[in-house]
Amino acid sequence: MFTTIVALADINWRQFEGVEIRLLMNKHPFTTFIEPKLPEFEGKTGIKVTMEVYPEDQFRDKRLIELNAGGKVDGYMIMPGQAKLHYWKAGWLAPLEGYMTDPDLTDIKEWDLGDFFAGPMKGARIEGHQIGVVINAEASLLSYRKDLFERFNVKVPETMEELEEAAKFFHKKVVDEKEMIGITLRGKDAAATSQFVDFLYSFGGSWTDEKGNANIASAESVEAFKFYGKLLREYGPKGATMYHWAESTSTFMDGTAAMIFDANVFKSLYENPKESKVVGKVGYTTIPAGPGGKLPHVSNWSLAVSGAATPECQKATWLFIQWATSKENVLGSFLSGVPAGRESSWNDPAFVSTDKTPDWTKGSLDSFAIGQPQWNPPVLNVSEIRDIVGQVIVDSIEGKDVANSAKAAAELMNKKMEK
Amino acid sequence: MKKLKENIINFLDNHMPIVFPAPAMITLFIVVIFPIIYNIYMSFNKWKIGLGSPKFIGLQNYIEAFSDPRFWNGLKVMFFFSSLSLSLEITLGLLIAVYFNKEFKGSNFVQTIYIFPFAATPVAIALIWRIMLNPQIGVLDYFLNLVGLPGSLWISDARTVIISLVLVDVWKWTPMIVLIILAGLKSLPKDPYEAAVIDGANAFHIFSYITVPLIQPVLITALTLRSLDNLKEFDIIYTITQGGPGIASETLYLYSYKTAFSFFNAGYGSTLIIIVFLLVLLFNVAMNKIRYRTEGP
Repeated sequence: MFTTIVALADINWRQFEGVEIRLLMNKHPFTTFIEPKLPEFEGKTGIKVTMEVYPEDQFRDKRLIELNAGGKVDGYMIMPGQAKLHYWKAGWLAPLEGYMTDPDLTDIKEWDLGDFFAGPMKGARIEGHQIGVVINAEASLLSYRKDLFERFNVKVPETMEELEEAAKFFHKKVVDEKEMIGITLRGKDAAATSQFVDFLYSFGGSWTDEKGNANIASAESVEAFKFYGKLLREYGPKGATMYHWAESTSTFMDGTAAMIFDANVFKSLYENPKESKVVGKVGYTTIPAGPGGKLPHVSNWSLAVSGAATPECQKATWLFIQWATSKENVLGSFLSGVPAGRESSWNDPAFVSTDKTPDWTKGSLDSFAIGQPQWNPPVLNVSEIRDIVGQVIVDSIEGKDVANSAKAAAELMNKKMEK
Repeated sequence: MKKLKENIINFLDNHMPIVFPAPAMITLFIVVIFPIIYNIYMSFNKWKIGLGSPKFIGLQNYIEAFSDPRFWNGLKVMFFFSSLSLSLEITLGLLIAVYFNKEFKGSNFVQTIYIFPFAATPVAIALIWRIMLNPQIGVLDYFLNLVGLPGSLWISDARTVIISLVLVDVWKWTPMIVLIILAGLKSLPKDPYEAAVIDGANAFHIFSYITVPLIQPVLITALTLRSLDNLKEFDIIYTITQGGPGIASETLYLYSYKTAFSFFNAGYGSTLIIIVFLLVLLFNVAMNKIRYRTEGP
């Protein structure tokens, strides 16, 4: 009886002793956390791990070229919302549900699949198959200068109208001899789409309709484009069409913007005294509700097993993923600043007792609970379609005819969409 | 053994014209000729990287290009950017070279300083220009405001982005043109100038009736050299705007890069780059024709 319990509670971690696996990783805070711990995994399993880490742009190119060339790649990081369709169709993603439920390969109770947030895990599914395990969960939050909101008695926006009012109130207002900007957002074409999507959904719009045709020219979608463009044109920074996240977060950290809407991970920037002038002055909340409700997106990085690796290497890589996404490791990376994809990390006393920004925690958790995992257009050629949508955002910021621009973009999108 | 050695030496002796250039020719074939041929072959194929093998589709990619609004936009941007920057670089280059050609105190020092932009790494200077051109924090707007002029959105406005990029290109590459023209000016004969002075010609006459006609072959060489790079300008545009806002500064060359490496359409991307290649070739054939006409083959 005792032995049965031991067998159920644990697996043979050394079953692939001597196997060598090669992993391609993005230079992400999670990688920074896990890389120095590799000797622990190698000691535990006897598996030899080669981990190659590249900055994001090179990482994407390298991953694509290596997988296409058919070289030895056993596992890699992937943002499912960006690349899963392409990689799945190319046969580069191994389904993981078989491993997850195999008691010989997975310490089912200890690993605890149910502990992962459902939204991000759903994002890493395709055609009924789980193709990745989330290593972080990302949602966007409205971050605002709580010191100024309190000083001027401005209500924290709960609706889109209130958001516009607050932006209008602060824009060009001179505070402590500094002229303020109402709100800063990404305005740079394709890069802006990953934040714009929250507005699109909350205004009742969508990328595509039920038939899979472009829906970005629908009345609701057009309203979202108009609102987003107006915020930046009338209450945003000068030159917003060139604003990527780096420009937008810098403007906020410089103390010149009253609000910013961007990924929750950037809290680590806003609250970093070496880089930011607004440390301790920032409040966090979910996206304000629009006519379509409050519908933020939720995205994530995941660890995947290459569909082209040998079965033995695939299983050895699965052991690595299981170890890297254990409760202990996810909590460790969470405490080092990576928003965790596991609920237990957020409830852990080690985090709760040291949490200096409970409103950020609440905002993030609320967003994960209602987050939409489909944050990119549901197509194979995501980058190309994001470029097309990005043009409408730019046109809207520049004050051009949004309805016409969206109509032209929808036509082009229908022509170019690959599924 | 000895015989084999002799045979090898004999073979080498008898085939020297083939053997000696062979390493260079093989390298050239691998790194230049093969990729071009493969590119031409790919341009007749449909191939999404990762999804199946290339499929031959004949001229379909070329037909698609001509009905693709983004292709025409790329062509327009390329034409606008190149004609503006090349003409400014040649004009300014000539004027500055004529000025530098005179002896003045500290001329060597000024000339050395002036070479700096040309010697700097394009990506590094482009990153700095990107910050300077930012209307929110950039120094250019600050200077405009200092002298009482309204600010500009520079690269953030579709209407001014190309002019802003031309500004950077002119700043970076005019020194190269100056160097080439200066070398040409130094080798010009003195007699026509002396004759002109005796005849009472003023500085403007000397410049337009003697310097410009004499220096014309050098100008065409400088233009040819510069156009080779300029027509496929990548690093400055990619670093500063990535073709934005939207596609307002996306040249055909940039579009072909994005098509292949962001959209993974290797076939269509090859088609676009072949068209760029043909345009550059055409321009250079035309320039050569003009050069032959002015100075003979």
